[in-house]
Amino acid sequence: MAADDIDLLNIQRGLVIAPAGCGKTQLIVNALTRHRGSKPVLVLTHTNAGVAALRIRLEKANVPSSAYRLSTIDGFAIRLVRTFPATSQITEAQLAAERPPYREIRVAACNILKTPRIHDVLAATYTRLFVDEYQDCSSWQHGIVYYLSHVLPTCVLGDQLQAIFGFGDDALADWNKHVGGHFPLVAELKTPWRWINAGAKELGDWVLDARTKLLSGQKIDLRSAPEPVEWIELDGSNNDYSKQLKAGNTKSPVQDGRVLIIADSTQPAKQQRLASQLQGAIVVEAVDLRDLVSFAKSLDIYKPDAVSRVATFAAKLMTGTEPDQLLRRLETIRAGRSRTEVSAVEQAAIDFAATPTYGGVARMLAELNAEVGVRVHRPLVLRACLRALNACDEPGAPTFREAAVRAREQNRMVGRSVPRRGVGSTLLLKGLEAEVCVIVEGHDLNAKNLYVAITRGSVKLVICSRTPILPAI
Amino acid sequence: MAVIRKIEIRHFRGIASLDWCPSVGINCLIGPGDSCKTTILDAIDLCLSARRNLTLNDSDFHNLNVATPITISITVGALGDNLKNLESYGLYLRGFDPKTGDLHDEPDTGLETVLTLRLTVAADLEPSWTLVSDRAEQQGQSRGLGWTDRASMSPTRLGAYADQNLSWGRASILNKISDETIAASTALADLARNARNAFGQQAEAGLPKALATVQTTAIELGVPVGGAVKAMLDAQSVSFSGGTISLHGEDGVPLKSLGLGSKRLLIAGLQRAAAATTPIVLVDEIEHGLEPHRVIRLIDALGAKEAKPPLQTFLTSHSPVAVRELSANQLYVVRSNGTSHLVHRASDSGDVQGTIRLSPDALLARSVLVCEGATEIGLIRGIDQFRATTGAASLTACGAAIVDGGGENVFKRARAFQLLGYRTAVLHDSDKIPTPDVKAAFEADGSPTFAWQENCSTEEELFLSLSDSAALALLENAVLRRSDKTIDDQIRSACAAKHSLASFRANLTTEARAILGLASKAKHSGWYKSISDMEVVARDIVAPDMQNCAAPLKTTIAGVFKWITDGSR
Repeated sequence: MAADDIDLLNIQRGLVIAPAGCGKTQLIVNALTRHRGSKPVLVLTHTNAGVAALRIRLEKANVPSSAYRLSTIDGFAIRLVRTFPATSQITEAQLAAERPPYREIRVAACNILKTPRIHDVLAATYTRLFVDEYQDCSSWQHGIVYYLSHVLPTCVLGDQLQAIFGFGDDALADWNKHVGGHFPLVAELKTPWRWINAGAKELGDWVLDARTKLLSGQKIDLRSAPEPVEWIELDGSNNDYSKQLKAGNTKSPVQDGRVLIIADSTQPAKQQRLASQLQGAIVVEAVDLRDLVSFAKSLDIYKPDAVSRVATFAAKLMTGTEPDQLLRRLETIRAGRSRTEVSAVEQAAIDFAATPTYGGVARMLAELNAEVGVRVHRPLVLRACLRALNACDEPGAPTFREAAVRAREQNRMVGRSVPRRGVGSTLLLKGLEAEVCVIVEGHDLNAKNLYVAITRGSVKLVICSRTPILPAI
Repeated sequence: MAVIRKIEIRHFRGIASLDWCPSVGINCLIGPGDSCKTTILDAIDLCLSARRNLTLNDSDFHNLNVATPITISITVGALGDNLKNLESYGLYLRGFDPKTGDLHDEPDTGLETVLTLRLTVAADLEPSWTLVSDRAEQQGQSRGLGWTDRASMSPTRLGAYADQNLSWGRASILNKISDETIAASTALADLARNARNAFGQQAEAGLPKALATVQTTAIELGVPVGGAVKAMLDAQSVSFSGGTISLHGEDGVPLKSLGLGSKRLLIAGLQRAAAATTPIVLVDEIEHGLEPHRVIRLIDALGAKEAKPPLQTFLTSHSPVAVRELSANQLYVVRSNGTSHLVHRASDSGDVQGTIRLSPDALLARSVLVCEGATEIGLIRGIDQFRATTGAASLTACGAAIVDGGGENVFKRARAFQLLGYRTAVLHDSDKIPTPDVKAAFEADGSPTFAWQENCSTEEELFLSLSDSAALALLENAVLRRSDKTIDDQIRSACAAKHSLASFRANLTTEARAILGLASKAKHSGWYKSISDMEVVARDIVAPDMQNCAAPLKTTIAGVFKWITDGSR
């Protein structure tokens, strides 16, 4: 069935399988555009970034905001348990925790939904339910949707081959047993719109074909791939890194094309090093902004090591800074042995050491950034850090740690944009798309990660791998 | 559409405390005057009407004590989708248990999802309308109903003054029976302009002096008035709004000038048409301005006889006609137990329908004296009439009603009134006791029964206890209404012809009194078996003899009237 023929508003209970780039989001947008009636459609997805991305698409399409309510599944669950605290037995304190007990919240939401107690309320509020990215549903999230589907006509959309998220203490729902068992398959999208729109239908057809193979456990051979797919052979020697760097510098064949570089998920440091060494590349950050939060936790501006900590942190975000050299210079200046003029960075560091303030930290970071030859390859973290620092100096202000957590939460709510050249992993880049995609270590990806990786580029695909037969694990 | 499930009033006017779960259709509040029936209607009106402000004063606080705030909480069920919306009202939705009338803070299976709106007025007299939710309070949140939602459950009140409903003003029912809007605003604005132009400067001719003074002063002070000062129609005072347009008959006579009853009937009918949008109606004194047959029409128009009530209606009534037309499950007796008010559905007291049909006026009284039959009713009425001439408070002044107990049913009927919460007493013959178990229950619940000496009917008691002259007068009264022969025959047959009318006239022995009592209550030819006959006898003969008669009669009658008078306190 072609995407245009599927009317999500006609589905009472069902599943639409939507391979990457086949117009799934457009399907949702189309349905919501056609939706009439006084009650909105409830649209749930998994991440705040997903919500933000969907909202941008809907606003671009001029879908009236009264036609839909957009939320993450967990956000919806939190709303339910907070609205009915006696029934849910989840306290405000639990919800306010830095790390709310999501599993308990989901279980509590299921408990609220499984009896008819608020079924009339749900039916009065929403007309139907769409759930996006269903392959990422954990068991208890599936439970929430399962119970909702008893009250609201429900359509879930997803692609089991893109299920690369794991949710810790709440395992993914079993696709065939739980998802397929409750939501009968209504349609499977089969037109590779992303590639057709980019003028690379051949690549799109290959990707869809690869999906079929990967799904049935077969392997794909990069040597028989069409021209937009380039295989760069690695041999495990020391030469590999320069090959990977070269691949990372691949130019987009189209004007203003963007490039996504997929590196090892398990080693953020590797991704960051790659970004620092590729011209114009920046890091696509994980939503938890872990480096910022741990920096905020560990920094005590009144301790003597504060300058050193700031300089080390800055070096993680910027290329071309030399923290050791800076610290040596400061020593020299303090001893009165400096023969060269004190630079702006050095002055900022001296001022900060003399009068420790958060503004001082911010100034130091700003001066470092302004130095000749310094380039920020982690701008998101730097911006969030400066935002947090700026909030800290006034009396009654939050602690730096609180401000950093707040900046992180703020960041969660903003949609991610695709940089000109971004480095990340399949986990981080899922949902983002560019013209070119470079896979740095193809042989390390399993079938699902491989599929997610090869669907990120709409025009060109560069795969560095020790073998042309993938997946190799 | 919104239906009131529960009303909780605290500290409002005469009501210290009242909890009441009304029913979905007609709720007719009855009870003696000053039982706060109208206060309940006012409470509903104040809490639910879409008002932005209220003018309350200290006298609206119970006992004038402004330290305790007035709260009126109304729980509304059968919520429309707008009111049940999780996102707007989720934190405020509660559960109502229809079986117990209890409210739970959160919805649950088996409970109805409801909202409780509370009007609070403290000493500053500033009203606030908020939705009640313990959990919202704990989370530091608070909200009222959205304006549109409040308007959607705003009741219509058929008060003494209802003219506003006959023009297209803001709160008019006319706006609720259709979505049409008056497209005449441009026409109205033009009209105002034309009026100003047509009027022109006609006023000027009469005001030359004033105008000249204004002009001179303005020029002297340098106030710019641009030459000559003019007198014209004020632009602001010549403006028309929707309220300017009202209903007229074919002859152009405004419908506002119809009789009060006609207007109320018409508006009630219109309310019916608007039931889909505003399903709650408040009617003060339903009989106000209406002949009995139109009271019945109005009650029908409100859907009293329909299996599925179209409206939830709150009435007050003092009309036996209205009471008789309604069924026992539509009648609610309001009474106070001293500390709080109770509203009691008539049908909850067993099968009282028959009693209500037979004596609807008694439901409107404070005390109910159930008399065994016509003789007893006549006796009490006659004595009451005599007492009134001596300056004592009458039965009606004491808020008491007399009900015909229907002979053997006397205790059943009395028990019904007792269970309805009325102050009830029984006056019965002592010749035989019907339904002794009901009598026992009736007395066990604290109501008095009045009777004669053992085995005596009322007639026998009278002939035994009255003084000689009064007993003879009683006999002569019977002779007067029948004939010497009839009475003589009856006496003879009552004593196997041992005595005669003539011998009794000559010598009224104790035996004679007993025989007269027996003869006078003869089946089918009793001497005082109609209310009117007994009434006359009681007024003219029995009552004036109260000082002289023997103790049994004297104490019983005194007891009855003491009980009646006590009820007025």
